[in-house]
Amino acid sequence: MRLRAALVAALVVAAPSDPHRFALTSTGRVKGASGVVRLVPASSPFGVAVTADGHTTYDLTLTVAGLPDPPSLGAFTAYIAWIATPDLGSVERLGAIAQGRPVAGRTSWNKFVIVVTAEASTRAEKRRGPSLLVGRSPSATMQSFADHPFYNTGAPPF
Amino acid sequence: MHHRAIIAGLSATLGLRAIGAGAQQARAAHDAAPASSSANVHLMAHVPLGHPFTVSGIEMEQELSRPYVYVSRMLGATNSAGFSIVSVKDPAHAKVLLDWTIPDAELHVGYGGMEGKYFKLHGRYYYVQCFQFNQGSPDADLGAIVFDVTGLPDASKVREVGRFHAPKSATATIPGGFHNVFPYKHSDGRALMFATTLSGTYATIFDLEHFLRGDADQGFVSRVPVPYATGRYHDFYIGYDPATHQDKFYGGAQPGGYFVFDVSVPETPKLLTSIIVDRRAIVSAFGRGHTITPTPDGRYVITETEYQYSPLRIFDLKPGLDGKVDAITEPIGAWTATWQNLAHNHEVRWPYIFVSGYEDGLQVFSMLDPAHPTDVGFYRTYDGPHMAGLTQQMVPDSEASLHRGTGSVLNGAWGIDVRNADGLIVISDMTTGFWAFRLDGFAGWNGHRWGMPDISSAQDWDNGPDGAKKGAHARSR
Repeated sequence: MRLRAALVAALVVAAPSDPHRFALTSTGRVKGASGVVRLVPASSPFGVAVTADGHTTYDLTLTVAGLPDPPSLGAFTAYIAWIATPDLGSVERLGAIAQGRPVAGRTSWNKFVIVVTAEASTRAEKRRGPSLLVGRSPSATMQSFADHPFYNTGAPPF
Repeated sequence: MHHRAIIAGLSATLGLRAIGAGAQQARAAHDAAPASSSANVHLMAHVPLGHPFTVSGIEMEQELSRPYVYVSRMLGATNSAGFSIVSVKDPAHAKVLLDWTIPDAELHVGYGGMEGKYFKLHGRYYYVQCFQFNQGSPDADLGAIVFDVTGLPDASKVREVGRFHAPKSATATIPGGFHNVFPYKHSDGRALMFATTLSGTYATIFDLEHFLRGDADQGFVSRVPVPYATGRYHDFYIGYDPATHQDKFYGGAQPGGYFVFDVSVPETPKLLTSIIVDRRAIVSAFGRGHTITPTPDGRYVITETEYQYSPLRIFDLKPGLDGKVDAITEPIGAWTATWQNLAHNHEVRWPYIFVSGYEDGLQVFSMLDPAHPTDVGFYRTYDGPHMAGLTQQMVPDSEASLHRGTGSVLNGAWGIDVRNADGLIVISDMTTGFWAFRLDGFAGWNGHRWGMPDISSAQDWDNGPDGAKKGAHARSR
């Protein structure tokens, strides 16, 4: 278990340098929890997997460590992983997290957020519980330069 | 080097004509013997609100029967984006009535709640909370949320009634949220709101009645441009000038300078005068306009620029308003609490200027002689280390170090407000929270008692601005 936690931590540290891996960090509700998401282009007999409207499809694997037993946080029995668009306009369930087992999923969203919440049931289909871990796909950090500080004379925005 | 000499040297460097000798003497005195307050400033209440760097602007309702203060809250390390409502019914025992946090705050990225203002319309009271979230965050296009707060002090009756969205508010196609708003009771009777993003080269005017009734365009009226589109408005002030019967907009743009518009007919703003330094604006000291507030008669303005060592500069608008110069390029006076620091926002109650001076806390000076401002009083709300404030490189949701020298001077007293009815002064401090004070000899403010129009940031929502001819700009509806 300790080795596994160390491995996840190592992956988290390594994540920023690899656009196919990104870290999940604690929202502050739990200390010491972390996670990492690995992205792999979905397999395809045509070389590149895309949806019918041309969006690249990725398989993703989420691994988390350091979460306490759900009941220790309140009336919860499970941790559920969700994938969402950055504005939270669309949210889909990835799956329940069982310690030691990665959660697998697939997405064709260009930019997305992975959220881990505590829920009352492993079968929860809607995100209702507190958000414990969050991570953004590397693509989600890309921004227009038009609101870069350079265009604001470098002054902090307040 | 003696502090006074440093100030004199700084004055020369900045091209200032004068800094009051009295101010220099007082400043040197409290540099030499640091004190927490002057004898004429009395602490009424201090309410810590949370983690450092979660506190931003402040707004106080003006009616004594509604003793409510609104404190904007940033995300910080505790995902506190939203606002807090503090009751000052008993100013000596201020208490928090409500901490409102935006849903899914922990999934947001950006600064969060920045500034907020209240307004009154048809007998109901509303609070507008500005938000700034980054691209890629939930609510990235959210400008502000409007709450009906009529039911206070029952916090359960505070309810959201609408959201201003600012999609594609930038010169490009990015959102940016509102940094600040200024609800204004126009002389034509309308309740308007001016709003600014830090990415669009204009301030947008909304009709609040139209917004509340759900107009598809959010009550859009028009925009006040930044002349030459050089920069973005940061803060602004709108006030009525009884002498000219004009509603005037005063905006600080960075880069650019400061601009005064006639918004008597808000659909067609007209530039009256500018405080600029031409093409040097981007790199010049006062080209980075931040905050601007006029005196009640509109003759002088107090301006702030956001960089360490900057004093508050005082400009005389008369040459520009009279058309004798194309633009005003030189201040007539300046004031600083501590030359190593920076003053932030301010409220003008002639002749007093109430300042939220970041590390210097509450500061009050007099500008009876605008060329020679003098110290009146102070109370240091921030007792933390020097240079441990936010920087552009510091993500606001990171853990604050608060170690001396690890950051900027942007820490301490952020916002200030003054209640005209009784002179109560409130401060929001980025690290230490909410504060309330009284100043000896200042039991309230009415401009007429000082030979001035009764014009300040406080709006007369029931009667409109002092001195306005009834129906002067009345719109046919």
